[in-house]
Amino acid sequence: MPDAVHRLSLLESIIGAVNLGAIVLDETGRIVLWNHWMARHSAWSADAVLGRDFFEVFPELQHKRIASAIRQALRDNFQSLLSQTLHKAPFALYTHGAAAIGNEAQERMQQAIAVTPINLPGSPRHCLIQINDVTIAVGREKLLREQTMVLRSQTFSDGLTGIANRRHFDVAIEREMRRAMRNSSPLSLLMIDIDHFKDYNDHYGHQQGDGCLIQVAAELAAMLQRPTDLLARYGGEEFAAILPDTDAAQALQMAEAIRQRAAELRIPHEKTGNDLKHITVSIGVATQHTQHPHQPLDIAALIGAADRALYLAKRSGRNRVTVQTT
Amino acid sequence: MVNLSELENDALVEIFNIGVGHAAAAMSEIVNEEVIMSVPSITFLNRADAAALLGSKKDGERICGVSQHYDGAFATEAILMFPEDKSLEIVRLMVGDSVPLQELTEMEQEAMSEIGNIILNSCVGTLANLFDSELHGSLPLYHVGTSAQIMSSFSGPDDAVVLMLHIDFVLAKHQIHGYVAFVLDLSALHDLKEQVSRYLAKALGQA
Repeated sequence: MPDAVHRLSLLESIIGAVNLGAIVLDETGRIVLWNHWMARHSAWSADAVLGRDFFEVFPELQHKRIASAIRQALRDNFQSLLSQTLHKAPFALYTHGAAAIGNEAQERMQQAIAVTPINLPGSPRHCLIQINDVTIAVGREKLLREQTMVLRSQTFSDGLTGIANRRHFDVAIEREMRRAMRNSSPLSLLMIDIDHFKDYNDHYGHQQGDGCLIQVAAELAAMLQRPTDLLARYGGEEFAAILPDTDAAQALQMAEAIRQRAAELRIPHEKTGNDLKHITVSIGVATQHTQHPHQPLDIAALIGAADRALYLAKRSGRNRVTVQTT
Repeated sequence: MVNLSELENDALVEIFNIGVGHAAAAMSEIVNEEVIMSVPSITFLNRADAAALLGSKKDGERICGVSQHYDGAFATEAILMFPEDKSLEIVRLMVGDSVPLQELTEMEQEAMSEIGNIILNSCVGTLANLFDSELHGSLPLYHVGTSAQIMSSFSGPDDAVVLMLHIDFVLAKHQIHGYVAFVLDLSALHDLKEQVSRYLAKALGQA
């Protein structure tokens, strides 16, 4: 039947030409189709993967959602969608092709995946995995978010000092807490308070008090180099620094550097009531390390611990750093 | 409108609870955080009452829906629905993103579709599995509109019955209420009832 042969070769050419990844698995999960797009964007040619078990080629996907999607397609006849938003880039695929593989700077293609059962007359059910490159759409939404963030930052910054305000702090601490929990990474919080600030205001006047706050805020903000670090004005003369991926020892080191930097500013302060006649800060440090991935968020406990540490630093003489563990 | 014995009603509630339990486990796996889902009750309604139930809080309130079509042992349109602001909340809790925009972006709509896909496939899958039957499922479609608009966008006779599941969804201390509606025509409803009584007869026979 030349017509049937022609149809078959036409379909094969189309599968080869389409601008999306197509993988077909048989009922036992072996790869029986790997289109040209897959070969172009991955490290594997069709010859290298055909006939092999899907999870032997992709062992890292074994207990991921795609495994249950494949099971549901083969067993239950259901289709599944794996969104980029929830899964990012499960497959090691690169927009600019195999040449980019091994190049650390090259990021994986962002993927939207559909898993579909394929019912063939007279043979067991197969499963089609379709992969779409959504990198451009992801970039567009990132830009949209960044621009929104810029607009919103006006309502998120402190009117006097220009650093993050309390509202920004509340949003950031929640976000970082969740991130820390998901990544099982430590999160540290510093509570920083300018010593004898009421006496400073009483002696020098509120205008100079404001100037002192602006100068201290700018200096401390400049010390936090990483993009996820955040210095916020927490209240009157109190600042809070959120330090993601920072363990207790690193946080203590950072706090000590901040304390020294504040003292080095040598902002004159006649009314400290002690020998140091310049502005100093007291700092309370608290760190939370999430051991259990499902442990509930406890933002209040972390802030409470940092507050207690700050109180101890104040009570034991000021111009010092005190640590509390949660 | 639909005569289901107490036993049959309880069996369906239990089956759907198993289903959303699987869905919660799958979602928990994705976000590495505890997700709890339950179905406290089910009701049978006609289409207009179903729309009224969803839209009862505020007139014209927008609802986000994710629908999938199933056919096989019985045919149904399954729709997961949340008020629009709750859908925003769910997606952002799942994604952990803190730059909320006014509406779900395209990518977030896709994430919402996936959440619907997980929940609906788990519910229907558990049902099909216990009934020892097979259904074919489509890919999810995302909808936004008033409850009446969404409920009327599915073809089917006017006398179609809606099996409505109340769903409680808990993630990161947030509790969110939503619904899953199964639109069934009379023959599908008949098939479903028959499957439930067969399942019960088997379960009780074995016990």
